[in-house]
Amino acid sequence: MWLNGLIRKLLLLVLLISGFAALNASAHHVLGRPAYSLNEDSNTPPSMQVETQVGDFSINYMVYPAFPKAGERGRINLYASTLDTGESFNGTVRFTVRDDSWFAAEEEVLGTQQPDDFVFRQGFVFNEDGDYIITAEFESGGEPYIIDFPLRVGELSAVGPPGIAVAIILLTLVAVSVLQRRKRLGSRVRKAKQEETL
Amino acid sequence: MTMTHPGLPEMWVLTIIALMAAIVIWALFVSPPGKKEFSTFSLTDIPLVGGISRYLLTTPWLLFILKLVMVVLFLLIIIAGLYGTPVPERNLATILTWNLWWAGLVFSIFFLGSAWCAICPWDAMAQWLVRRRLWRRAEPNNSLNLRVPKQLRSVWPALIIFIGFTWLELGAGITVDPYATASIALLMVVMATVSMAVYQRKSFCRYFCPIGRTIGFYSQLSVVELRPIDNEVCANCQTLECYHGSKDVDPCPTGLMMGSLQQNTYCTSCGNCSRSCPDENVSWRLRSPSIEAVQSARPHWDEACFMIALLALTSFHGLTMMPFWGDWISQLARMIGDSGKLLWSFSAGISLCIFVVSAFYAAMVFATQKLSPTAQSIKQIFSTFAFVALPLAFAYHMAHNLNHLIREGAGLTAVLLNPLGTGTEPLTMMEKHARHADMLISQTSLFVLQSVLMLAGFIIAIKIIRYRSRATINKSSRAGWQMLPMIMFAAGMTIAHLWLMMQPMVMRM
Repeated sequence: MWLNGLIRKLLLLVLLISGFAALNASAHHVLGRPAYSLNEDSNTPPSMQVETQVGDFSINYMVYPAFPKAGERGRINLYASTLDTGESFNGTVRFTVRDDSWFAAEEEVLGTQQPDDFVFRQGFVFNEDGDYIITAEFESGGEPYIIDFPLRVGELSAVGPPGIAVAIILLTLVAVSVLQRRKRLGSRVRKAKQEETL
Repeated sequence: MTMTHPGLPEMWVLTIIALMAAIVIWALFVSPPGKKEFSTFSLTDIPLVGGISRYLLTTPWLLFILKLVMVVLFLLIIIAGLYGTPVPERNLATILTWNLWWAGLVFSIFFLGSAWCAICPWDAMAQWLVRRRLWRRAEPNNSLNLRVPKQLRSVWPALIIFIGFTWLELGAGITVDPYATASIALLMVVMATVSMAVYQRKSFCRYFCPIGRTIGFYSQLSVVELRPIDNEVCANCQTLECYHGSKDVDPCPTGLMMGSLQQNTYCTSCGNCSRSCPDENVSWRLRSPSIEAVQSARPHWDEACFMIALLALTSFHGLTMMPFWGDWISQLARMIGDSGKLLWSFSAGISLCIFVVSAFYAAMVFATQKLSPTAQSIKQIFSTFAFVALPLAFAYHMAHNLNHLIREGAGLTAVLLNPLGTGTEPLTMMEKHARHADMLISQTSLFVLQSVLMLAGFIIAIKIIRYRSRATINKSSRAGWQMLPMIMFAAGMTIAHLWLMMQPMVMRM
């Protein structure tokens, strides 16, 4: 009996954990964590770097500068190698971009790049600040490989989380206040009626 | 390039294992003890200190000022996280939250019990927003004061949220994301506020807060406890101010009664009991750190599951910081066709870790039942011996976090002076090396502390096994082989943790 309960609870936990994964897998930001670095031996600006893997390939993706701004030139460097042998990918890579928002899904082609010393270099200039998704596509052994990378241009709009938090808290407090007032009013009416009948 | 900390040297580990073997032999051949009266020491008994401690316990001002400081720091973390630089090592949100608070919190539990809960900023903000009082007793009408549904009245909700947070911390990488760190901080405020507005007392602290429950369980191993000075006074008390509150002081937030309090698990150290008691019969006491887990704490099924999961997640925490972890997950991802951030593979990893530790414990529980001369249900043995997980998890948690605290503690001054990291750039590799070398204590001292912690954890686990074996499965005074499965569990987990500590550990940021 207790074992059934334990199995049910373990299954629930696994489902919940998988649920967390599903939530994020369906979101855009499913790739490796961004890391910021600065090389003291060169005069290049700080870069944002993401390491990830897709199928049999390990992908290394860098953005210069680390914090690109609207109207400023930037560059994406992409390097792909096979996980088994470490052999560098030598085909072509197509880069596209789209707005990372709920409704805008229009895609724009940034370019198709040949390797330059095994690195695929794609320049960009964004006209507006915002969150974008860069997609890199390539083909190897007849298999298509598609990778999405988030890219932030300009300052981040931080209205979202505090706005949502304040809204939830305010709504809760107002709702509780209204309910309590009704409850008090109801009890006062009941009390008055009781006094009348007495 | 990944920066790693050196692991515990092999000789140190072998010495600890040799000492563990000696302890096991002693435990098997020397009769386990019966129930003992452990001595405690009330702070009120010390001249001068007693007076000061009484004053601090009864005045609301100190707590209010500490809460205010914490709330200011907490708001600063939220602002820095949302509006500051995304570079984690330059932002106050990530440095203060993960390098200092999260690593330091676990040490504070040993010395101060659940003191963090008393000054917890999200609870303080929720209280000020919902109850609209800074320190005096609030109007009951500010909350709906509903009872928490029966299905939620356990530590299961806290455990599920705890697993979710571990997933976010290690899987989604919020420790290196100031924005996500601030968002989680806001989420805590929202959850605490909504819970306080809807449910009676502080249900969030008791049932939902994963931090509070972890602190609660670990504080069973703390050297301090808030208890009655004279049990007779509580036994004769008719008014129960500690439970109901007084005219000016709120009731116990988690519904505890001082007279029957035997364990720290649900005490939030808020001091309401000491302020409301008309007989001034509540005081802080010093005690042996193992007394509660060894004999005072009562076993409960949901709490047992929390403790085992806590051990599993603590081990998992260490595992994910090993350099080989990435390769393992990469291999798994290729097997199951996962790509990108490898979240499915990570989720499989965390599930597997919880399963393996739980299955190991369950197997040892079955073996204990088979060897037991008295009829005991599996559930009873499972709940009774789960306390063994506490010192093992606590010791490894502290030993692991010592690395973070001592090797990655540098850089706090810089972020305090520039919390948002305005105009800063990422650390260069040379700066990372400099921070790595700038340790708060010497490496040898660090290894000594880690070794002592691991050994102490094992010794307390053995004490728990010996006492609880005698009290439940073998009531005769003979030392029994019945303890062997549980000893194997404690030794197995300690050796697994020691192996993890021998490996180089990846720096947090």
